[in-house]
Amino acid sequence: MRLPAHLYVHVPLCRSKCAYCDFYSLPLSSATEGTTAVANSLAAQALAWLDRDVAPRPLRSVYIGGGTPSVLGADLARLVEVLTSSFPLEPDVEVTIEANPESLDRNLVEALARAGVTRVSLGAQSLDDTVLAFLERPHDAAAVRAAARAVHEAGLALSLDLICGIPGQTAQSWIDTVNGAINLGPEHVSVYPLSIEAGTPLAAAVAIGDVQEPDPDVAADMMLLAQHVLGQAGLERYEVANYARRGAESRHNTAYWTGMPYLGVGPGAHGMLDVETAAAVGFVSARTPGVARLRYAVACDLSAGLTPMPRVDTESLSRVEAAREDVMLGLRLVRGVHEEDIVAAGVASVIDGLAEDGLVELVDHRWRTTERGWLLGNEVFGAVWAGE
Amino acid sequence: MTDPTLIRNFSIIAHIDHGKSTLADRMLELTNTIADRDMMEQVLDSMDIERERGITIKAQAVRVYFEASDSQTYQLNLIDTPGHVDFTYEVSRSLAACEGVLLVVDATQGVEAQTVANAQLAMNAHLEIVPLINKIDLPAADPERVRHEIEEGLAIPADEAVLTSGKTGLGVREALEAVVKHVPHPVGDPDAPLKALIFDSYFDAYRGVVALIRIVDGHVRKGMKVRMLATQTVTDVEEVGVRRPANLPVDELGVGEVGYLITGLKDPSLVKVGDTVTLAKHGTEDPLPGYREVKPMVYTGLFPIDGDQYPELRDALDKLQLNDPALIYDPESSHALGFGFRVGFLGLLHMEVVKERLEREFDLDLLATAPSVEYHIFRTNGTSEFIHSPQDMPDPGTIDHIEEPYLKVTVLVPPDYVGPVMELAEGHRASFKDMQYLSKTTVEMHYEMPLSELIMDYFDQLKSRTKGYASMDYEYIGYRTSELVKLDVLLATKIVDALSFIVHKDKAYARGKVLTEKLREIIPRQMFEVPIQAAIGGRIIARETVKAKRKDVLAKCYGGDITRKRKLLEKQKKGKKRMKNVGNIEVPQEAFMAILKVDE
Ligand SMILES: Nc1nc2c(ncn2[C@@H]2O[C@H](COP(=O)(O)OP(=O)(O)O)[C@@H](O)[C@H]2O)c(=O)[nH]1
Ligand code: SF4
Ligand SMILES: [Mg+2]
Repeated sequence: MRLPAHLYVHVPLCRSKCAYCDFYSLPLSSATEGTTAVANSLAAQALAWLDRDVAPRPLRSVYIGGGTPSVLGADLARLVEVLTSSFPLEPDVEVTIEANPESLDRNLVEALARAGVTRVSLGAQSLDDTVLAFLERPHDAAAVRAAARAVHEAGLALSLDLICGIPGQTAQSWIDTVNGAINLGPEHVSVYPLSIEAGTPLAAAVAIGDVQEPDPDVAADMMLLAQHVLGQAGLERYEVANYARRGAESRHNTAYWTGMPYLGVGPGAHGMLDVETAAAVGFVSARTPGVARLRYAVACDLSAGLTPMPRVDTESLSRVEAAREDVMLGLRLVRGVHEEDIVAAGVASVIDGLAEDGLVELVDHRWRTTERGWLLGNEVFGAVWAGE
Repeated sequence: MTDPTLIRNFSIIAHIDHGKSTLADRMLELTNTIADRDMMEQVLDSMDIERERGITIKAQAVRVYFEASDSQTYQLNLIDTPGHVDFTYEVSRSLAACEGVLLVVDATQGVEAQTVANAQLAMNAHLEIVPLINKIDLPAADPERVRHEIEEGLAIPADEAVLTSGKTGLGVREALEAVVKHVPHPVGDPDAPLKALIFDSYFDAYRGVVALIRIVDGHVRKGMKVRMLATQTVTDVEEVGVRRPANLPVDELGVGEVGYLITGLKDPSLVKVGDTVTLAKHGTEDPLPGYREVKPMVYTGLFPIDGDQYPELRDALDKLQLNDPALIYDPESSHALGFGFRVGFLGLLHMEVVKERLEREFDLDLLATAPSVEYHIFRTNGTSEFIHSPQDMPDPGTIDHIEEPYLKVTVLVPPDYVGPVMELAEGHRASFKDMQYLSKTTVEMHYEMPLSELIMDYFDQLKSRTKGYASMDYEYIGYRTSELVKLDVLLATKIVDALSFIVHKDKAYARGKVLTEKLREIIPRQMFEVPIQAAIGGRIIARETVKAKRKDVLAKCYGGDITRKRKLLEKQKKGKKRMKNVGNIEVPQEAFMAILKVDE
């Protein structure tokens, strides 16, 4: 038994909060601790895993997400350095940091590259200043272009995040954003429809009628459009929301969809362990029968200060649940799930029902999500998870 | 046994919210009936649903001892009653146990519709009416105006009306003094055989049926053999007692007293409210005048969302009926909804209350279809029948004509709002009869209108169009011929029987159109397009479409938070479970009630 080969670190800070965001992060202005202290505690939490009674496995991927890791500035580079020098690594380890244009300049990119970063996931979201202002992003389109250039010049792989289905976003704005993104030469692009999350300023604006709720049909058209345009530019979909040049698929994200264990570090971060490892580190008692997989969330928040070994909230999955979860996640991937795995997970009849609705299809013994299925992903994933 | 001249039996009656239950609280306090530490607001409203909604649904009897200014201690049996029109029958039952009433009128609201209706009940029962003007602590209180309204509008002398505040307790002692002074004491023959009226009952899981009784003649004590006159059931008396307000056993109840009687009988149909209890041998054969059986006015289908809960629903209805004789039900089945019951209610509030009690007290998940009234169908072949579900409507070709129940509706409203009331009436097939000024500030208007229109959101609209000032009461006046048609609703070209309703011919088009529009908003987008049509006898009169759902993907999955993704999926799934599958279409529960909210 070994520690997972994938590590996620959550940086719970942002320059300011965007109107639609409900992820755990604090704006810099209200964080009680400085960036150095935060980076130090995150490093300490990560390194604490090496003090547990389980041998590490060389890491295949490290992903520093958030929040906005790049707001840590030079402290982010130091954090990466600590991680890459303390954990054993696979020779071709993928090290991604998430960054926002307003906090990523040439100096930082170069420092990150030196520290071992291989890939930058840039929160562009749009290349239309009106849309960016509506979302209350702390940057404009020019900043996106500048940051993307800096990433290229440092020789790092670039991924761009884009959002569609935004109130007030026109079809033209979206086309321009997708084309503009392609021109920035990314190896990888993620496309998400905007969702109105409870408790956000945007949800409040929708509730009082100041903002119109996004039209799901418009969002669907925009997602289809992105798929075609990106595909023609050589960025092929490999997951419901992710596109990449061949070979540039995110190794870290793929681990999520393929049932690989991963460590989660930092406030609110999530991790997944096989039951043996979970038992060895005391997240589940060794004698709990019927548990096959353990998911956990780190239960601490920034304002309370970070301890090296914080409490975790755990969720145990039985063998049946883990199998269903694998199918649910596997259907997010274009390569789909082998028909034997479907049968083994006991969801064959569910899949038949989905096939009748034209949501999945069998190609070369693998069940794959159809075009309609991509857009109606929740129908597919929900049915598989529920097993009915 | 208490000397009957020292007993007073009275009900507290009023329009809803005029402060009956709060006054009852003060009376319990003043007479030290409830220890301070057990006191809570509206203590007699013991059902959860009463406490939450702040309304009284069940009448509650309680005995208190009051030392009056003549230094005598009186036994007062007071009954707090509901004020809503749906529960008028609870009031009339309570009145049958009393010699008088305290008529409470809110000093800021004045006389309202149920003030009039309940005062009339008391007059018809020949009870002494003691008027009382409440809430005089409020700055807007206008006791002079209200006194005037009571005298002019109700023809009840009010110059001696007691002024009270249930909030501060002011005048509560005077109110009880007035009861002692004006309400006649009960009169009966202590030596005659037992003769007692069952004016209410409820079911206790351990003790069986508990009857609330008022002794007219004779007495009753534990161990006696008694007989229920209507059912001729003979049984032993297990316990008699009084409510303070918890049950307190006593040795004996004598002439004029109010209390409870436990016989151990478990079958509520043997202990009928309104029946007379007498001795098993040598008792009276002469029943007390019961009161007219309550007749349900509106009917609705109640279906378990989970079809497996049908037996539980039957069981729950059986149990609830014990303490709600106004509830009647028959099995009903629907292609769309499966097995359920057609349930009759006194009105819409009663329906809501029963549905909520069934769901809460029996842990059921229920779907209610739109209420309908009982129609009288006359066939061309000379036969006739009553139907209370649109599903039972026969082929129009075989119908000669249809009659529907009509009401006399009384609306009390300030003169400024007469216009809006008239306009609303026009939209509801109501014909204006007359109107009179009760005072400068209150007009009483009379209409005749079909009950089926009244249940079409009439009351809510009346309230909103009059800024809440109007109050309403109604009474049934008989059946009248109307040109009615059955309107069917088709989802994906199939008739959904549970959505059919009966409507006046002239309104069919408008209602069909608004209803299909409403349904389009209510029914969520499905995996396929769902046409919604309204039809009369196979002819389509309105059509809308719920477009197929195209997009349903969750936003970004941050940091591998798979758990959250799954939770969201589970939540979505749960939402769907709460809907009813009609064919393969997921229909939210509110769709079946949509017809009530078609505000043309
Ligand atoms: N200010 C004031 N409020 C009162 C008085 N009596 C009752 N209320 C309030 O009026 C509302 C209705 O009272 P309740 O006793 O439930 O009325 P019921 O429907 O007639 O039983 C409640 O919010 C009471 O707190 C009073 O004398 N003064
Ligand atoms: S930068 Fe990202 S994590 Fe921070 S508030 Fe905006 S959307 Fe949320
Ligand atoms: Mg009350």
